[in-house]
Amino acid sequence: MAFISSGYNPEKPMENRISDIGPQHFTEFLQPVIKKNFGKWVYHEILEPGVLKHVAESGDAVYTVRCGTARLMSVTHIREICDIADQWCDGYLRFTTRNNIEFMVEDEGKAKDLKKFLNDQKFPGGSFKFPVGGTGAGVSNIVHTQGWVHCHTPATDASGTVKATMDAVFDQFTDMKLPAPVRISMACCLNMCGAVHCSDIAILGIHRKPPIIDHKYLDNLCEIPLAVAACPTGAVRPSKVEVDGKDYKTVAIKEERCMFCGNCYTMCPSLPLADKEGDGIALMVGGKVSNRITKPAFSKVVVPFLPNNTPRWPEMTDVIKRILTAYSEGANKYERLGDWATRIGWERFFEVCDLEFSEHLIDDFRDPAYYTWRQTTQFKW
Amino acid sequence: MAVVEFQGKQFEVDEDGFLLQFDSWAPEWVDYVKESEGIKDLTDDHQKVIDFLQDYYKKNGIAPMVRILSKVTGFKLKQIYELFPSGPGKGACKMAGLPKPTGCV
Repeated sequence: MAFISSGYNPEKPMENRISDIGPQHFTEFLQPVIKKNFGKWVYHEILEPGVLKHVAESGDAVYTVRCGTARLMSVTHIREICDIADQWCDGYLRFTTRNNIEFMVEDEGKAKDLKKFLNDQKFPGGSFKFPVGGTGAGVSNIVHTQGWVHCHTPATDASGTVKATMDAVFDQFTDMKLPAPVRISMACCLNMCGAVHCSDIAILGIHRKPPIIDHKYLDNLCEIPLAVAACPTGAVRPSKVEVDGKDYKTVAIKEERCMFCGNCYTMCPSLPLADKEGDGIALMVGGKVSNRITKPAFSKVVVPFLPNNTPRWPEMTDVIKRILTAYSEGANKYERLGDWATRIGWERFFEVCDLEFSEHLIDDFRDPAYYTWRQTTQFKW
Repeated sequence: MAVVEFQGKQFEVDEDGFLLQFDSWAPEWVDYVKESEGIKDLTDDHQKVIDFLQDYYKKNGIAPMVRILSKVTGFKLKQIYELFPSGPGKGACKMAGLPKPTGCV
């Protein structure tokens, strides 16, 4: 395509440059009823899955219809969302912190019609474009990352695993029959961008092989001390090697100390470690961020490895469904997944979910590992 | 990788225009890069920053932290951005021939 200038002058890059203006103020985009009753809400209720009602002191009510998205979306799709907002909501809409879309209307009948309309929209392949749900004690959208779409350090894909998982748990998105909300998150490497460390169920990409060292290029592409300092287990040390009769400054990696975190690759492009067979997924459960009844908690690893079986990750969705079923049958009302597992004991959790317990699940990282072992005689056979 | 020719010198660069080898740096490199980094004329202040980055890299094997660069050269971050509009990483380090910054940048 031929070049079309925006008016920017590369000869004078700092001329007419606008900077530090920040985002636009959110009040410019508030739906009128919400703007009018800002800070004056009295109560809310969930009318049905995906439809909320908020009532203000003035008696005004606003009805919110929440629908799922794939998060990764085209401009065509966004325009379609805008068309719906124009047609039903005077052009107003919002996105939630789990990347769902919310349309706000002022009339209950209209909200229900909108729900029906949204549920009728489909992609040519048959998928729902705007499935309504994600409220109350169900499974809402999956917070996820870039994966093979854009990142250079992933051990698995994000959009693919998330689509496979949401297909498997779709009934829980459009319903509210679980004991408490179940938050599923996904991160494609253990940088854990997003919420995997604090979610009820977490999908995490992991490696199982140490980095390959490009000795010839390492010193030129990397700041060696940074690669050394990037290692949490002290497996990387500076070193010298001779390749084809030439001396190179490089690093050496003690493979028995390496746990394949990939931090050194983040800092140094000459230490790639992605591997088709080695890479896969670990599953964690039991995290939460809210303070409701129990304190916020980190999620714990319960499945050390599942293969990257593209494009549907059947082993992964199978385990997630098993955990979800055992939780929904076993937990009390309001009990989050981690609260339930703590109450029945983790040995019972592994039993009811039919998960294998292996040595990989026993913490061995520095002094705090000790506190995760059992220093009591209290356990169940 | 691409090879750049400028004033009779050859420089091997990556897709972001960083030198692939610190050793291949030459004063001509600065002249070649300055335009793409929005710098018209090279001043003593520019040179002071480049010299310090190179000395620090040779001595320590890493680029200095921004606060060290500020403290040693005496230029506040704002002044560094005035000298190098793309900033200390993309601008100054590239001109000094240091490796491309890594991490979650």
